[in-house]
Amino acid sequence: MNSIGEACTDMKREYDQCFNRWFAEKFLKGDSSGDPCIDLFKRYQQCVQKAVKEKEIPIEGLEFMGHSKEKPGGSS
Amino acid sequence: MQKYPNPMNPSVVGVDVLDRHIDPSGKLHSHRLLSTEWGLLSIVKSIIGAARSKTYVQEHSVVDPVEKTMELQSTNISFTNMVSVDERLTYKPYPQDTEKTVLTQEAIITVKGVSLSSYLEGLMASTISSNANEG
Repeated sequence: MNSIGEACTDMKREYDQCFNRWFAEKFLKGDSSGDPCIDLFKRYQQCVQKAVKEKEIPIEGLEFMGHSKEKPGGSS
Repeated sequence: MQKYPNPMNPSVVGVDVLDRHIDPSGKLHSHRLLSTEWGLLSIVKSIIGAARSKTYVQEHSVVDPVEKTMELQSTNISFTNMVSVDERLTYKPYPQDTEKTVLTQEAIITVKGVSLSSYLEGLMASTISSNANEG
């Protein structure tokens, strides 16, 4: 599966591989300590943020890299 | 009669994770952005522009590793002035056989300011329902 930003696809795949491994081998087995993918995620996120701005995708109510807000009930 | 885009086969062409974190109760939250491509005829794409045939959906999912459940909620963020599709799915272990999974799916569809709105709502509802049966 590709990224929305063409330039981000390789970074996304690297992050996805790291996340999928952590998810299956750690998280689902009850071990959620540590995040081995944080650096990959940061790099990938920077690329995605840029693509979202360039394509003017209307994402609302979401902070990148932080705790996200609760989704508001219904779009305007 | 105006020809609408084909609501039968939107296919996901791009997925990105916007945010991911574990909440204090140990559940994994993910916010994702999906881009979908409608099955528009190439002639329609050439008229409206290929970039405009992509629609975007925002998805929030929660995985509970203890209860072994997953909830997904997704909403379109394109064409919100015309239509709103709010879909919720939950995956839970089947009580009588925990090797199996129960999927519950509901979608709330609102079509705004478009004639034939009740027809389009019915069409989208039956499409989502038949896709749910397949998957």
